[in-house]
Amino acid sequence: MENVYLTIVLAPLLGSIIAGFFGGSIGRAGARWVTIIGVGISTLLSLYVLKLFIFDDQPVFNQAIYTWMVTDGISFEIGFLVDKLTALMIAVVTFVSLMVHIYTIGYMADDEHNWPKDSLAGRNSYQRFFSYISLFTFSMLMLVMSNNFLQLFFGWEAVGLVSYLLIGFWSTRESAIFANLKAFLVNRVGDFGFILGIAAIGMYFSSMDYAEVFAKAPELADARMPVWGDTTWSVMTVICVLLFIGAMGKSAQVPLHVWLPDSMEGPTPISALIHAATMVTAGIFMVARMSPLYELSEAALTFVMVIGATTAFFMGLVGLVQNDIKRVVAYSTLSQLGYMITALGASAYAAGIFHLMTHAFFKALLFLAAGSVIIAMHHNQDIRHMGGLRRYMPITWITALVGSLALIGFPGFSGFFSKDAIIEAVALSRVSGAGYATLLLTLGVFITALYSFRMYFLVFHGRGRMDEHTRHHLHESPPVVWVPLVLLAIPSVIIGWIAIEPLLFGDWFKDVIYVAPEHAVLAQLGEHYHGQWGFILHGLVAWPFWLAMAGLGLAAYVYWYLHARRPQLEDELRERFAWAYRVLDRKYGFDDFNQTVLAGGSRGLGETLWSAGDRKLIDGWIVNGSARAVGWFAQRARHLQTGYLYHYAIAMILGLVVLLALFVAL
Amino acid sequence: MDFNAAELIPVLPEIFILVLASTVLLVDLYLRDDQRGLNHGITLVGLLIGIGLILALGGGERQIVLSGSFVRDPMSDTLNAIILLVAFLAFAYSKDYLRDRNMLVGEYYVLGLFAVLGMMIMVSANTFLVAYLGLELLALSLYPMVAFDRDSKAGAEAAMKYFVLGALGSGMLLYGISMVYGGTGALDFPTVAASVADQGLDNKVLVFGLAFVVIGVAFKFGAVPFHMWVPDTYQGAPTSVVLFLSSAPKIAAFALAIRLMVDGLGGLHADWQGMLIILAVLSMGLGNLVAIAQTNLKRMLAYSTISHVGFIFLGLIAGTAQGYAAAMFYAIVYALMAAGAFGVLLLLSRKGFEAENLDDLKGLNERDSWYAAMMALLMFSMAGVPPTVGFMAKLLVLEAVVRVDLVWLAVVAVAFSIIGAFYYLRVIKLMYFDKPTTLEPITVGAGARVALSVNGLAMLVLGLFPAGLLGICQAAFA
Amino acid sequence: MGFEKFLFYVFAAITVVSAGMVVTRRNPVHAVLYLVLCFAATAVLWMLLEAEFLAIVLVLVYVGAVMVLFLFVVMMLDVDQAALKAQFIRFLPLGLAIALVMLALIVLVVGPANFGLEQFAKPAPAPADYSNTESLGKLLYTVYVYPFEIASVILLVAIVAAIRLTLRRRPDTKYIDPAKQVRVRKGPDRIRIVKMPVEGKVEAE
Repeated sequence: MENVYLTIVLAPLLGSIIAGFFGGSIGRAGARWVTIIGVGISTLLSLYVLKLFIFDDQPVFNQAIYTWMVTDGISFEIGFLVDKLTALMIAVVTFVSLMVHIYTIGYMADDEHNWPKDSLAGRNSYQRFFSYISLFTFSMLMLVMSNNFLQLFFGWEAVGLVSYLLIGFWSTRESAIFANLKAFLVNRVGDFGFILGIAAIGMYFSSMDYAEVFAKAPELADARMPVWGDTTWSVMTVICVLLFIGAMGKSAQVPLHVWLPDSMEGPTPISALIHAATMVTAGIFMVARMSPLYELSEAALTFVMVIGATTAFFMGLVGLVQNDIKRVVAYSTLSQLGYMITALGASAYAAGIFHLMTHAFFKALLFLAAGSVIIAMHHNQDIRHMGGLRRYMPITWITALVGSLALIGFPGFSGFFSKDAIIEAVALSRVSGAGYATLLLTLGVFITALYSFRMYFLVFHGRGRMDEHTRHHLHESPPVVWVPLVLLAIPSVIIGWIAIEPLLFGDWFKDVIYVAPEHAVLAQLGEHYHGQWGFILHGLVAWPFWLAMAGLGLAAYVYWYLHARRPQLEDELRERFAWAYRVLDRKYGFDDFNQTVLAGGSRGLGETLWSAGDRKLIDGWIVNGSARAVGWFAQRARHLQTGYLYHYAIAMILGLVVLLALFVAL
Repeated sequence: MDFNAAELIPVLPEIFILVLASTVLLVDLYLRDDQRGLNHGITLVGLLIGIGLILALGGGERQIVLSGSFVRDPMSDTLNAIILLVAFLAFAYSKDYLRDRNMLVGEYYVLGLFAVLGMMIMVSANTFLVAYLGLELLALSLYPMVAFDRDSKAGAEAAMKYFVLGALGSGMLLYGISMVYGGTGALDFPTVAASVADQGLDNKVLVFGLAFVVIGVAFKFGAVPFHMWVPDTYQGAPTSVVLFLSSAPKIAAFALAIRLMVDGLGGLHADWQGMLIILAVLSMGLGNLVAIAQTNLKRMLAYSTISHVGFIFLGLIAGTAQGYAAAMFYAIVYALMAAGAFGVLLLLSRKGFEAENLDDLKGLNERDSWYAAMMALLMFSMAGVPPTVGFMAKLLVLEAVVRVDLVWLAVVAVAFSIIGAFYYLRVIKLMYFDKPTTLEPITVGAGARVALSVNGLAMLVLGLFPAGLLGICQAAFA
Repeated sequence: MGFEKFLFYVFAAITVVSAGMVVTRRNPVHAVLYLVLCFAATAVLWMLLEAEFLAIVLVLVYVGAVMVLFLFVVMMLDVDQAALKAQFIRFLPLGLAIALVMLALIVLVVGPANFGLEQFAKPAPAPADYSNTESLGKLLYTVYVYPFEIASVILLVAIVAAIRLTLRRRPDTKYIDPAKQVRVRKGPDRIRIVKMPVEGKVEAE
């Protein structure tokens, strides 16, 4: 199996290398094919692996492939851990990635228009894009298939790098460069916590290997680390919180979420692939993978749950006031990530992963549908300028409707199963903070439905508000665009129905995810589970469903029924609730705070230190001073080399005499 | 005593190289001037066959044959094979350079092969006598190679200096060996080692001899203050010879150090550790500092060699199996880096033009970006920038000294390597950020181009995947 | 003090004094001659150690061949003695200091304390029919055959190196190539018949 796993990882890398380094010579078609074939091979093999795990009782593969180095007894390795969790993840990652690859053919077809005429970076940008997304696939696979923290960190940073490159893909746009720098810097904060967590693991466990760390974890459950004076902190809590700070950066949780909405500056396919379906879920995957550690720290679980629930609700609210089609979807992503994180905090890891999977499909679908709309609208992304598109783009319309229904958790659609499971699990949780989380998540359902269908009705229904020229050219996107939509719509509908039983209540995650008996909310939930129909019927009488319907109904009423008659309605609402609008429009002031206090403050501090400390003290004295001293010495010392043979001979003999005197005579 | 022909089997690689050298010597007699390239072909093929022989005969238990004169062990297998490989690279790079300067004659290859033979003999020596003879064979082959360009006064001067100082150095080594013989009554390493272990450190004669032996080794390495020949020889000798001189013989010098000081006088580790610490600190300090002041690239690389020797010594100083493995790794890596760096210089030289000043590298990126990239990799590796293998090599030797609680030494080494990074990075700055003085394209044979590419990329590949080579090095001292 | 001891001290003294002379004589020819003396005295010392073969080889090879050649070379070179002398005086103090320190160190180590009879028992004298040459030869071709062969390779390298560095064909020198002389053929090579127009005829026109 080792070869299969290696191929899964390396095929996209190979494609990426070929398309990236030889993009000029193989041309557009070459780059397209080589990367799609690479990812296609990975997808097929991943599905094959998944099949083996489902039907053939494939044993867990946990093995080092290559030992990079061994120091102080800690070995740094590249190795794979392929169990049911991994198998599920790689199947999702490669499938979505393949869809996005195909979709990109259409979306980037005339990318040269996005570049200034004489831009060097615009040359071969098409091939470069394919190379990047294949590289991303490779990095993501390395991340999820890792069996040790070092490789996890490698994958973690590698996906961050590709994300940085792709957000700023249109590097001639000011806003894109700003956005990718922001993403990079915010992720630095998260990654700093992450690497501190890994370092703490290295320190307390003397190993980088998952299995060894997990096996040793219970011994350290009650260990304390000294912090300051007599204050001590629980080792497990510190490690878990630090690791989770990494997850907050990558999975965009409050307050490190600020980069994700801006990341929409990147081309839409990568918004779907990286910033919705895969990379941002790395944090969820990581926490689920580390369940044996998190289970040991109640405090860390509370922290996780509160952060997740806060994100889920408050970011959803911001989505209500966005007008950029992609930003609406982006805020919905933030909110959904919050749901998954909250599930983790409630120890319902399986529910988190389940929602991760369903979300990957329907959110990728929504993004790609949004992209399809954007193509049709000639890259105008403002939903106020859309409307009535269902007549021109029937396939996009239907698939977007499917995606939206899945998102709001309409009974029967995939999102319903996963979201309901999360809310119920959180409600059962007895970790402190669960009450707060339950409330926010339940209210969040209403918000979700409201903003999703606000967008849906504004885009696809009502009167067309685009200009004449655009309207004239409106038509359905080409097959390379809509085929992935259809292929993603299928799992968006059915995957919940299929997967809920084995994933949540079956033994799929037995031995993979560890849940302490006192936290076993899913097991509790499972006692009342009687098949999918039962789950749906139970859902129909629960709060979330009615809230979702209320949101849907309100959206339909305001944005479909009323909007057709009073188009200025939204503006009026805005004026009436000006204070609320301001808070939401400013996104609670996170960006302002970051930019004035954090960025501005640190720039000011930097300026001061630079002029006083760096230029005068360090540059003037230490750097240039020492460089001058070295230079001076070098000039003197080179004169030792006189060129005279007898000087050389004398030097040798003097050396001999010194050695003899030191070691023989003394 | 009986002679058993089977005893010659482990010696076959040495015998083969001897036959190869003699073959070139004879074949050359019958060649017209326009056929001299045949020597080149025979030599390269022969070296490859030699590597094959070593690989075929190597492995397995340590064998001592020829009345205890010759030893074949994992270390000798590895080092011999790598010496042949590096020599192969050195010859492969040199052909065009030699042809342009009317030096593509049989003697060059004959002397080079004899030098290789000398190195192999040193590597697999099991007595002081054989080690000394191998050293002399190497040195005597190198002296005339330094003066190979008979019309070059600088070459003659360099050879003269090298010869006189070399004679002094090997005289000291010989004197030291005689003292060791006096102190132990034996010449072969196992007996000497047993005797040293027996006598402990009381015997002043041994320490006295040891000082001379250390100097002999230090001279071969070019450690301060026995380094004086290095810059002058590097500058005066033809670049192809410098390439040869600066690469493989360092591996042989490492083997010499291991054989004499570990196999033979390992019991005196406490003493030679102190001596080597002095030499290492001086070498790293002086080498890195003076290199900064150089404008001649060959001289700069000479001082860089001196500083790298200091780092190789760090591994030896540790005196642990891990330290020796680290030093071996470093020596091998250094030989490859030096071969590559001088290889670039060779390829830049043309008929009537010697690339040897820093300014000759200006704007190399615009003239040939591939060579510039290879040179940049080599320079990064020499400076010890991750992920190149030079970083790994430095890390390993530093780890070795830290493990024996010589943290201050590691700190000193790191400080000097930071200073050293300056002049390596300056080369990169010249190549990438300065305007070229000439736009003449670089014309190089396909073979040399491939060899250089492999050499340069090896820096990266070995840096990313050091485990293979490191494993081999560790196996040599397991 | 037996006669042997007396001989040893006499010739040891000659060795040391003549070696000192080699370094201090200004006239290089004198220095070389002192070196010859030094070798000869050393040969006697070896004889006292019952190393007859080495003693004879030293005289034959070094004194008889190497030094004579050396003498020729020195006589042919024009050495600027004044310059040498100036250098010598200039570095004399430093040289002397180093030499003294070295001497002190050597005396400290290479003395009876480490090399006395207690450490090394006197070997039994060889019987009268003992052939030094034969046993040396046996050793060289059995136990030491590997170093011996390496030494031969070193000599080969020396030959190749010497030829490479000194042998060069100067286009402007005239020399006789015996091989070509022998190869000359009777007919076409020795006599060349040159056809010339009869001069008178030209005049007649």
